[in-house]
Amino acid sequence: MKPPIFIIIMLTVISGTMIVLTTSHWLMVWIGLEMNLLAIIPILMKKHNPRATEAATKYFLTQATASMLLMMGIIINLLHSGQWAMSKNLNPMASAMMTAALAMKLGLAPFHFWVPEVTQGISMSSGLILLTWQKIAPLSVLYQISPTINPDLLLTMATMSIAIGGWGGLNQTQLRKIMAYSSIAHMGWMTAIMAYSPTMMILNLMIYITMTLATFMLFMHNSTTTVSSLSQTWNKTPLVTLLILTLMMSLGGLPPLSGFIPKWMIIQELTKNEMIMMPTLLAMTALLNLYFYMRLTYTTTLTMFPSSNNMKMKWRFEHTKKMIFLPPLIVISTMLLPLTPMLSIL
Amino acid sequence: MMTYIVFILSTIFVVSFVSFSSKPSPIYGGFGLIVAGGVGCAIVLNFGGSFLGLMVFLIYLGGMLVVFGYTTAMATEPYPEAWTSNKAVLGMFITGVLAELLTACYILKEDEVEVVFKFNGAGDWVVYDTGDSGFFSEEAMGIAALYSYGTWLVVVAGWSLFVGVLVIMEVTRGN
Repeated sequence: MKPPIFIIIMLTVISGTMIVLTTSHWLMVWIGLEMNLLAIIPILMKKHNPRATEAATKYFLTQATASMLLMMGIIINLLHSGQWAMSKNLNPMASAMMTAALAMKLGLAPFHFWVPEVTQGISMSSGLILLTWQKIAPLSVLYQISPTINPDLLLTMATMSIAIGGWGGLNQTQLRKIMAYSSIAHMGWMTAIMAYSPTMMILNLMIYITMTLATFMLFMHNSTTTVSSLSQTWNKTPLVTLLILTLMMSLGGLPPLSGFIPKWMIIQELTKNEMIMMPTLLAMTALLNLYFYMRLTYTTTLTMFPSSNNMKMKWRFEHTKKMIFLPPLIVISTMLLPLTPMLSIL
Repeated sequence: MMTYIVFILSTIFVVSFVSFSSKPSPIYGGFGLIVAGGVGCAIVLNFGGSFLGLMVFLIYLGGMLVVFGYTTAMATEPYPEAWTSNKAVLGMFITGVLAELLTACYILKEDEVEVVFKFNGAGDWVVYDTGDSGFFSEEAMGIAALYSYGTWLVVVAGWSLFVGVLVIMEVTRGN
């Protein structure tokens, strides 16, 4: 894609999300989400092959359906409240429709089927934008309507998402599909806490974005898309194997890494609201996620898989991919736990 | 009869939407769009929006649909699928029309219909005077507000349409 066109399209993606974040008029929320959707289609299709076209088509169809549902919810809200401002008291019917629509946009179960297929069909950097930036706008709208959402609906979708994110990722060997199921599970954790404390959802989103950003950057640095080619990282950059170890453990939510912060805070908030079985269930199904992160760690860091002799020379070459900002990102995604009391600034 | 004109027009509107949603070939779908555009214009006219109604004819039918017709003509196939070509299209069309007719009969009989939200039978679809709107046409005031209070909306909408064309060019580039 020619650079000027790429810049214009990226600007539109960014301004679409910015419009959703900063507006108070429901129509502008819809317009921002549509701008975002429209402009990200050519980014998904950066490589013009049929797989990418299929992925972009699937993404467009599901997100357009979700936008239609959102518009229906907005108009029902207009019908009952008589005005377009984003206020706290939504009509329950409108709130349910908007929640379903935004769940489709995020890839929450039971609307999660597009996430692995779309993420697998596109290039690694487009997948990065899809799984991190595209989550910001719908979550901000959910944050603003969170007082009126039916908690049962949210918790059902959250539990299903965490379970499906865990079980779905177990049999995968493609890194992009693994990250897609990881995204589904993390979205589940975010929606679980939304009914009780939306601030923890923002915390989870920020830490999830930094961890996923760092993970994708490491994969792009190695130019790998499968677990078996990731296992050859010890040849190329031994330091990256250590970083993958810490990052995967952080994604799995193990203390003393920063991936533990959101899980800890969410379980604390849920128990403060007198729910005991729910956080137990969520924590246990999160172990499924940890299993496939462990598998990645095992093949990459903890064992040296056999390879042919010409693969053992990769460390002699200069690295061609520049990964800017990667060291600070790794530090943020792994070493933030002692700073948890700073949560009071949120 | 004039009191029910909006109701009748909106029923025809829905039936023409059904006619292209049942997925015949785009040429026949375009015909459904023309009917929908004309009837939609009439509905808007009944609420006093003469400027917007004629805008539908000029820009939508006379601009966008003409371009659509030309592109469809460039991509014709020897045996386009009409509504009576196969059972699938005919079945979908009949289902849609039946659903709309049943809803319409239900609305006319009862006072209130609650499908997704409550609407008061035929009362909401009948034209009536909504109150004192002064000496100015509400529609003209709305269009003026679009360019005065709604400048940001015009900028965003114009930018989105421009980027839409850029996106189409990029997607159909092929290399």
